[in-house]
Amino acid sequence: MTRIKQTLQPRTLILAAIVVGVLLPFVPLLLWSVSFRWLYPSVLPESLSLRAWQYVFSPRAEVLSALGYSTLVALLVTALSILIGLPAGRALGLYKFRGKTAVRFLILAPTIVPTLAAAMGIHVLFIRYGLVDNVLGVVLVHLIPVLPYVVLILSGVFANYNPDFEAQAQTLGASAWQRFRHVTLPTIFPALMVAGLFAFIISWSQYILTLLIGGGQVVTLPVLLFSFVSSGDNAITAALSLVFIAPALLFLLATARYLSGNQASLGGFGKL
Amino acid sequence: MKKRNLILLWLTAVLILLAACQPTEQEDTINLPAESPAPGVEPPPGFADWDAVLQAAQGQTVNFYMWGGSDLINGWVTGYVADAVQERYGVTLNMVPVADGPEYVNKVLGEQQAGRDEDGSVDLVWVNGENYRTMRQAELLYGPFSEYLPNSIYVNWNDPSVANDFGLSVDGYEAPYGKAQFVMIYDSAKIENPPTTVDELLAWIQANPGLFTYPAPPDFTGSAFVRHICYHAVGGYENLLGEFDQALFDAQLPACWDVLNQIEPFLWREGQTYPESHTRHQELFANGEVYFDMAYNPAEASSLVENGRYPETTRTFVFDEGTIANTHYVAIPYNSPNKAAAMVVANFLLSPEAQLSKAQPENWGDLPVLDPALLGAEDQAAFNAIPRGVATLSTEELAANRLPELQAPWLTAIEQAWETAVLQP
Amino acid sequence: MPTRLRPYLLLAPTLAVILLLFGGGVLLALMQSVGYLPFLGRTEITLDAYRAILQQAAFSQSFFLTLWVALASTAVSTLLALVCALALRRPFRGHRLITFIFQLNIPIPHLVGAVGILFLFSQSGFLARLANLAGLISQPADFPAIVFDPWAIGIILEYVWKTTCFTGLILLATLQGVGNDLETAAQNLGANRWQRFRYVTLPLLTPSMVSASVLVFAFTFGAFEVPLVLGQRFPSMLPVLAYRSYVDIDLNARPEAMAMNVIITLLIGVLIFLSTCASRTKRCAVNGER
Repeated sequence: MTRIKQTLQPRTLILAAIVVGVLLPFVPLLLWSVSFRWLYPSVLPESLSLRAWQYVFSPRAEVLSALGYSTLVALLVTALSILIGLPAGRALGLYKFRGKTAVRFLILAPTIVPTLAAAMGIHVLFIRYGLVDNVLGVVLVHLIPVLPYVVLILSGVFANYNPDFEAQAQTLGASAWQRFRHVTLPTIFPALMVAGLFAFIISWSQYILTLLIGGGQVVTLPVLLFSFVSSGDNAITAALSLVFIAPALLFLLATARYLSGNQASLGGFGKL
Repeated sequence: MKKRNLILLWLTAVLILLAACQPTEQEDTINLPAESPAPGVEPPPGFADWDAVLQAAQGQTVNFYMWGGSDLINGWVTGYVADAVQERYGVTLNMVPVADGPEYVNKVLGEQQAGRDEDGSVDLVWVNGENYRTMRQAELLYGPFSEYLPNSIYVNWNDPSVANDFGLSVDGYEAPYGKAQFVMIYDSAKIENPPTTVDELLAWIQANPGLFTYPAPPDFTGSAFVRHICYHAVGGYENLLGEFDQALFDAQLPACWDVLNQIEPFLWREGQTYPESHTRHQELFANGEVYFDMAYNPAEASSLVENGRYPETTRTFVFDEGTIANTHYVAIPYNSPNKAAAMVVANFLLSPEAQLSKAQPENWGDLPVLDPALLGAEDQAAFNAIPRGVATLSTEELAANRLPELQAPWLTAIEQAWETAVLQP
Repeated sequence: MPTRLRPYLLLAPTLAVILLLFGGGVLLALMQSVGYLPFLGRTEITLDAYRAILQQAAFSQSFFLTLWVALASTAVSTLLALVCALALRRPFRGHRLITFIFQLNIPIPHLVGAVGILFLFSQSGFLARLANLAGLISQPADFPAIVFDPWAIGIILEYVWKTTCFTGLILLATLQGVGNDLETAAQNLGANRWQRFRYVTLPLLTPSMVSASVLVFAFTFGAFEVPLVLGQRFPSMLPVLAYRSYVDIDLNARPEAMAMNVIITLLIGVLIFLSTCASRTKRCAVNGER
């Protein structure tokens, strides 16, 4: 018994630290969002108020439109990146071919080199060809940081994938779509979810790329949030922050089961 | 089960999306108001008369680039102003919030560099001072237009503080938007009788070590505070008026650095460091670390009390020798494709009605830019009846204690010299 | 479709996007940094921008600050991630809940993380107030300067908070992938806990740890949002400095911004090449010993 206790003790401490460490920053966010006159040294707000939430949900705050822009961009980026990245993931995971190392390196390069550098470089061409100040340009520039992660995650699952089942289905007369739908998709579905989660989150979190290419006119949530961070209105900043994380958390809830307990999807990061 | 959940999630997302992206309904026919331009002024380039402007403006969308850090100001623009110009002129107003002024200057410059001379993305900017000078000198502004606006008859163009923006003449390239004046902010629960001259303030600082600081220039507010000290140290702003003069600068300004260095050991954190922004300085004041705040907006303290960010006992004062005031404007970039609608918005912002609404503390509390003497009796009464916030001084008291701004190059020089002469001597 | 061409065809869309947008962007940054912009009628090549920034004290200060932040964040978060992954490895009561909490901050944007850290650690923030309640400090100035501080502790805290979970999940996935067999075998051969960790678990995890650290290092070196919220104005982190130069009122600062981008790109490339090289040779050495 004592032996078990001894081995459990440090782990319990670590687990407690994980819970506190992850959750602690959310505490002041929640408190600030409903606070009214919360000055040092009060540990709790002197009085509560829904001022910030009322503002956030009033039409003049344009939070709804920002939510719309963020969702539109993130969904388009997710769909596009999976459409483009799925074949690439298959090629990298399944095939041996000449120049594979170079191709892999090239696709992963944007995870290493800051995308802001590339975005600043290409900005002048985007201006020239009308790709600034609109959703299309923002979606394109978001693809730069998103695509490598999608390809990486999907190539991970294809590395352990057996294409023989597809061949068997083909001999049984299944069409290309049927093969994808009934053979390929069920196998890669978890990894697809994780890839989708990462694509969505990376796009959803972008501030500076959106600001640069969206020219301030594609006002996504982070762009809106940032103008409040710099203004020092903590209550509204906190409320907006919570609005900002809500959809991403929903997305995580829907895909959490695929994140852990499945080494194929995230394991790809371990084989850079 | 899990797939159904996912589908639900996506559906929700798409619904949010659709709700948010609904196009604004455009009314087909609008009875345009009968307005006539200011007499004796040439129509702006590209337009025959004001009716042509009104006609062209219908259906256009104006991208209004402005600092977006105040819920009050944002709400006033996206609510009251946007609704009014949509309803009356068929103009859609799209507020584009920016965190920092130079962002849009750079944006227009970038468009000019990339050869986008016809279809720029910025239609109207909220501007003054250094940014106006840069845009004007780089020929990034459309004009002259502002003296032609129907509502510009209420503007006293002979008032040098309106006709000149930080010493550079406006010449019709900017339409006045509002006025601002520097005030000092204190908590009357902590200080009963605040020092009301610069000398008294300097004495207070030395008597109460650690309880005063100011935002480090080039912060807008901190820079304005430093100018007040410099005006005082050189024996009055009159000594620094006119074009920037390096010899004059080198002769006069050391007196100012001396004063600032004398108080430095008595500042917050012994002057080792300064708050980096007005926002951080506000935080210091709100939490009682320093006893004075300052703002280049006489109504700011009141709205901070309203918002629960400052104690209810917060009050403001101006120095007996006066505080610096300036005018802020809107301007139209040269490559805006919606110049007509931008002029319509600029004109609406100048209307007594909009200026009155803007001056209400619950809307914004900005000082009107119109000359009361040029207004009708009814409007004059309405302006006089504007309720003041709990911490805001009366218009008369502010007006009686006004100092002019220096020309923009002086500001830049002072800000740069402060870093070497005061921050790291 | 000929099988030999197949992978290339599958890769074509991705490569097109990466080459055009990313490769093109980096190339354009390089061109603009030397003032070569043929479509704007500028064809003279000059190294003025590089000369200008290398002479600035601000640039080298920014560089060392950025390097410090990236190294410290990577080291601390990788270490913590290792501890967390080992703790979360085997099932226990509440395992699912704690694993879920561990994943919780994966979707939180860095901007929000930075706001949370700001509210928590500023001198009049939540922790300072708790410290005051506990009688540890009397006024805000007594609380250590953790945000807007010269050592960028606030920035590092945010990065550690976010990336520990990221790296931890990767390590967890790797651990689950390799299973227990090797360790059980080592135990049967008489290896104690430390020996099993040192000679079995750690080598199994090393490749994943190196990969994850490279990702984290590169990200923290090039990220923008967090330093903007939590960093001092001077010296600022390199990406912030580059962006500020880019949006400067003076367009002449743009080549300097591009030159900084090129230097950031090269530096990250070199550092990561060196680190992977070092880890490879080390791995080779370990293999050789066996």
